[in-house]
Amino acid sequence: MWIYEKKLEYPVNIRRKDLKMAKYLMAQYGGPDGELAASLRYLNQRYTMPDEKGKALLTDIGTEELAHIEIIAAMISQLVSGATIDELVAAGLGPHFTQHDHALFPTDAEGVPFTSAYIEASGDYIADLESNMAAEQRARATYEHLMDLTNDPDVLGPLAFLRQREVIHYQRFKELRNYYLEKKI
Amino acid sequence: MNNYKVTQDYYNYVNNNYNQPLYNQDVKKNTVLDPYNGFIRGNMFPELYNSYKINTPYEITPMNEQAELLTYVDAYTFAMIDLNLYLDVYPNDKEALQLFNQYRTQAEEYIKKYESKFGPLLLTSNSLNTFPWAWNKNPWPWEKK
Repeated sequence: MWIYEKKLEYPVNIRRKDLKMAKYLMAQYGGPDGELAASLRYLNQRYTMPDEKGKALLTDIGTEELAHIEIIAAMISQLVSGATIDELVAAGLGPHFTQHDHALFPTDAEGVPFTSAYIEASGDYIADLESNMAAEQRARATYEHLMDLTNDPDVLGPLAFLRQREVIHYQRFKELRNYYLEKKI
Repeated sequence: MNNYKVTQDYYNYVNNNYNQPLYNQDVKKNTVLDPYNGFIRGNMFPELYNSYKINTPYEITPMNEQAELLTYVDAYTFAMIDLNLYLDVYPNDKEALQLFNQYRTQAEEYIKKYESKFGPLLLTSNSLNTFPWAWNKNPWPWEKK
């Protein structure tokens, strides 16, 4: 089971409203390489990992990704806090307002709703781990694009943290994949 | 938080660095960062650290005692998380295991200290043995402090 810890993995305290940045951040909320897709991807793949290492690693990274959904959601929520309808429309969030008002809703940066098609689970643990390595690299690249789009240190801090976690997750998936290939499990 | 420089800890780990070829890598003796410096980087392993745009990681600057204590909780919890992932792949690394348990013990102490002063982080907290119900109290984690 999962238990809730009443804190973020990394603190989010954004002082400046920035609706465009909120819209861009949706990429990592409900986008193809976002945190929601990552968590569900790993938590589905864990049932077909061949040994204790794989079952543990996929469970634990999948769990950490759940905490990252919460960080991104906190960022979006704080970035849009107090926004007027006119401000939302000017930032391209008019369609979002129409359907969801100020609620959070998992879409990508262009407003395309989250789909389970983002969750890769092939049943082949080498294919899955290599797919995860690529997914972590794409997420890292996306975080770099997001960091290019802002100079607000309140936003850059959590983005740099999340980007770095992609680097570590990539590394651990790679090590596990190499271990399986070398051991011929 | 300049008073936060915790002791440097050392152990071996496989140096599979991020941009290096996949095989025939040397096993190197290396360091892990202290929990605070690992936490602000999002990475306990300096050999794996790979920065972008920001050359110096942002310091956490707590505005009050609650935020400061929470930063200790965050840092030690983070150190546990990063060592947890490492140990999943390298379960026989005794030094990493010892370090994990050291940070786990310290995280537990900071969590208890925080909860006794500022309310529960977990539903197992003794701070919930109060009237009225303390779990639902603001701020929730996503709210600005």
